[in-house]
Amino acid sequence: MLQQLLNGLFLGSIYALFAIGLTLVFGILDRLNLAHPSVFAASAFVGIWMTEAFDLPLWLVLIAVFAFGAIMGLLIERIAFRPLRERPDAHFAGLISSIAMAGMIVALLQAVFGPNTRRFPVGTIPEDALQFGDLTASWLQIIILAVSLGLMIALSILVQRSSLGRSMRAVAENPTAARVLGVNVEGVTATTFAISTALGAVAGVLFALNVNSAQLGMGSAIELKGLAVIIVGGMGSLSGSLVGGLILGIAEVFAIQYIGSSWRDLIAFALLFVILLVRPEGLFGKRKVREV
Amino acid sequence: MTEPLLSVQDLSVSYGRVHAVRGVSFDVAAGTLVTLVGANGAGKSSIINAVSGIVRPSGGKILFDGADITKTKSHRLVPKGLVQVPEGRQILATMTIAENLQMGARTHGAGSGAAIDEMYQRFPVLGERRRLAAGSLSGGEQQMLAIARAMLARPKLILMDEPSMGLAPKIVNEVFAVIDEVLADGTTVLLVEQNARRALQAATEGHILQNGEIVRSGVSETLLADDEIIQAYLGTGRAKE
Amino acid sequence: MLFTESTLVFIALNGVFAFSFYAVLVAGQLSLAQAGFAGIAGFTAATLTPPPAQWGPIPTLLFAMVVGMLVGAVTAVILGLPTMKLRGVYLAIATLGFAEAIRIFLLNSEWTGGAQGMSVPKTLTPVVAWVVLALVTYWFARQSRSRYGRALEAIREDELAARSIGINVGGHRLSAFVAAGVLAGLYGVMWAYYVRLVAPEDFGFSTAIDGLVTAVVGGTANFFGPILGSGFQTMLPEIQRTIGIEAGWIRPFISGLLLLLVILYLPGGIASLIPRRRQKVDIASLQTDAAGLSLRAHPTAGEVVAELKDLAKEYGGVHAVRGVNLTVRSGEVVGLIGPNGAGKTTLVNMISGLIPPSSGSATVLGVPIGRTPVHRIAAAGVTRTFQHSKLFNRLTALENVLIGAHVVAKPTFLRRLIWLPSARRDEHTALTHAARCLDRVGLLDKANTLAKGLSYGDQRRLEIARALAADPSLLILDEPAAGMNHVEADGLSELIRSLAADGLTIIFIEHNVGMVLDTCDHIIVLNFGEVLADGTPADIAADERVIEAYLGAADDGETDAHEADVAAAATPTKAAEENDD
Repeated sequence: MLQQLLNGLFLGSIYALFAIGLTLVFGILDRLNLAHPSVFAASAFVGIWMTEAFDLPLWLVLIAVFAFGAIMGLLIERIAFRPLRERPDAHFAGLISSIAMAGMIVALLQAVFGPNTRRFPVGTIPEDALQFGDLTASWLQIIILAVSLGLMIALSILVQRSSLGRSMRAVAENPTAARVLGVNVEGVTATTFAISTALGAVAGVLFALNVNSAQLGMGSAIELKGLAVIIVGGMGSLSGSLVGGLILGIAEVFAIQYIGSSWRDLIAFALLFVILLVRPEGLFGKRKVREV
Repeated sequence: MTEPLLSVQDLSVSYGRVHAVRGVSFDVAAGTLVTLVGANGAGKSSIINAVSGIVRPSGGKILFDGADITKTKSHRLVPKGLVQVPEGRQILATMTIAENLQMGARTHGAGSGAAIDEMYQRFPVLGERRRLAAGSLSGGEQQMLAIARAMLARPKLILMDEPSMGLAPKIVNEVFAVIDEVLADGTTVLLVEQNARRALQAATEGHILQNGEIVRSGVSETLLADDEIIQAYLGTGRAKE
Repeated sequence: MLFTESTLVFIALNGVFAFSFYAVLVAGQLSLAQAGFAGIAGFTAATLTPPPAQWGPIPTLLFAMVVGMLVGAVTAVILGLPTMKLRGVYLAIATLGFAEAIRIFLLNSEWTGGAQGMSVPKTLTPVVAWVVLALVTYWFARQSRSRYGRALEAIREDELAARSIGINVGGHRLSAFVAAGVLAGLYGVMWAYYVRLVAPEDFGFSTAIDGLVTAVVGGTANFFGPILGSGFQTMLPEIQRTIGIEAGWIRPFISGLLLLLVILYLPGGIASLIPRRRQKVDIASLQTDAAGLSLRAHPTAGEVVAELKDLAKEYGGVHAVRGVNLTVRSGEVVGLIGPNGAGKTTLVNMISGLIPPSSGSATVLGVPIGRTPVHRIAAAGVTRTFQHSKLFNRLTALENVLIGAHVVAKPTFLRRLIWLPSARRDEHTALTHAARCLDRVGLLDKANTLAKGLSYGDQRRLEIARALAADPSLLILDEPAAGMNHVEADGLSELIRSLAADGLTIIFIEHNVGMVLDTCDHIIVLNFGEVLADGTPADIAADERVIEAYLGAADDGETDAHEADVAAAATPTKAAEENDD
């Protein structure tokens, strides 16, 4: 059973890394970026392509994909979110515009890479595993865990301790106040977006490594799980995404074991529903969800 | 003749088809307190927001300390010494008082510790509660925090948007006492207020706004003594029938 | 050829599906569960309906559609009840999750045939499809100008304001949800009986998104938006194919691009290109009778309207209001003043039912507060305005006030469906009543202006007009004079006194002390959540504690002048003392 726990942890860390980007944008801008999953998918394809075309080592691919994700984030923010900021229906409009961008990104993916599943070239993925008594952990899993946790910790330090982080929190709390304090609200917004999609991009490559495949539909498949994670953890809460992601990963692994794999995807929604009914602000959330 | 610190020339601000401000011109000399008074919707906040770079003017020019700042955005103006205390205080309620003040001092990083301590001296209530969330302060105390925060940026010019809004008369007195101190420090103040009487009492010079235009200007004593203005804007109050 | 049979049918089907989104979007809810409702309805109907040979194709289809609508309705209730309190993004995600859960359930069930799905005889014809679409369109066309339709719009514009007008928000939201369920179920059945195969993947995430996109592109500004959207969305791939664009990726790319352009530059959808017919009133033809309005019986002068006993509210250790005792009698104008944070708004929120008290009790117009929901208190005769204007901004002044009359107007939707003349009469009465309320506050000439286009002072007045439309016995105003200069505040003061002369009881919170002293019979001063003083204006102005805690030293010339005048009326010697400061 401990092995299951460990497997769940590895899977969960990918979910957490994916979700943390979503929750970061929601926390700062009060918007849900539904183009996030398409960047997740795109980066998987781009990662595979880089490995094939330039024979890059894994660590370099991760860095390159991080940069790719950041650029995508800047584009998405500029095109789909910034123009809508002043509108009264901004929340709703932002959902729709990000859905539109997601559709366009996936279509472009198909144009460039074709509709078929891609895999990493043979030999990219480390095969060995480590043994700790009864437990087995493959090198790949360890890398995934290390990268995910590392990035999440780095983000946390950035937000809590750095000057940029204080500015981000100020913008999240009260953009007008931030503005009169001399914070470049537009710049901070764009940077936040870039960081969030960069994290999602890395999650995409890690996910593709984990299952050794990239498919056009992988974004939609994980999208709902990501949403479930951020609600369970609390919208806008970084630690919530971490915990929520891990819980989901572990729960899914156990579910496959005891209920069967076809019902696995229901776990996310069951969790989602329970939380929404019992504690809608999520495990770590602070926002008011219900109406007065 | 010395140049005014702030010069607003033929300023216009529109929101879509609504012309909030139409061709307004006035100067603010260094070391003085100039006030803009008028009813809500008269355009006062729009002028302040245009000067501080939050809103883009649709016409006219704004000169500050010799430079043309018409199109400059607010985050670039703060390091130049132009700071706003916005309408409704706009403090960071979930962050601590100390963090709020730190944010205010960020543009002049070095020595901010000493500057912040000075604020704690000046506003003891802020010092006592420095580790508490700023949202726990009362309205008047929040106004003090907003002013302290603005002063930490060591501004040459402070723009104040309706500091008396929503405050009890007694607290308003305290706030205006602080504004007097700010002036005594040598900082120039442009004050927008609905409470015309208080504002004119504190100011060197005043301008009365109506429907986006300046309808009267003058030295404040003159305005305060003017019957017409008293009638229209200051009121005398009637005993109830 | 562009218009094949299948294109025609799909335009109709997608239209019906888009209407299932429209049904909830007009109420301001974003639900994405419709694909799930469609799926389970489709499968259930296909299972329960006998083959067409038994009864003939049309009766079989009708039976299947009825089954589908019922299943859709029931499923919507099952989802709607627990999610009633969710809003915005949370509701969207919850409903999306629910739809996915249904899909997985259908995928893994025996009776549905699993991933393969079920085969269904093709019975649907274009004629039937379009008849259904026409009926659905008719339903929504009649809805938009009924009391029910206006209530939904109010909920969309500002839910809290709608609640305080007396609209039962929960009930209305649920009914919109059920409507969506019925329509989605209808779509699911019609789809099954046309495509010949119903499989779980037809009702998944991408279907849900497609339906939403259609509804948004078509727009909710007008009732025919979904048809426009459906036509556009269905024709687009056909047009692309006709002009030779075949590649698999170009079509979704162009769809995405068009959606982006629509949402950025045409937010009301295609339907917004056609200006909406506003409800207008012919000012010249105002009638005087009030037949058709369910006006209430008002309390007689002097009767107790509100009684508060030890009312208190605390939030985690912070005592916002402590043990307030207060009696308000009919016909009084009561002013509530005090420093910021003194608890005035909290007190008023408790009286109007917005928040429950922590302890103590209060009875307002015979209704005990605390356990009673806001809209019932409003129905009992309490209406209020808010500190920050909560008007229905995208509606005209007249429409705002018309919605305000919700509790006194008669419901008209069902009668409008069958064009009963009495419905028209009742609508006209409501319009006249609304116009009269506007006239009362001096805004009749601005009746057809959009609320967001009014000046600040006019907006404050409109809020009062809207509150008056409910024929209240008790009117609560929260800082009505905020932002007004003396001239405007004096005008407001006169309006308040004239309303009181008509028999209304008024409580208002204000910071403009001069105005309060002028206008009120009875003033209550709150400080730190407690009643500091309770009495006539003369009492209050002279009260040492009030001066100490709130009015402060005599720098404020305004208060001085008032204190002087009022105190002079009471005690000549005091006036002399006062003026020395």
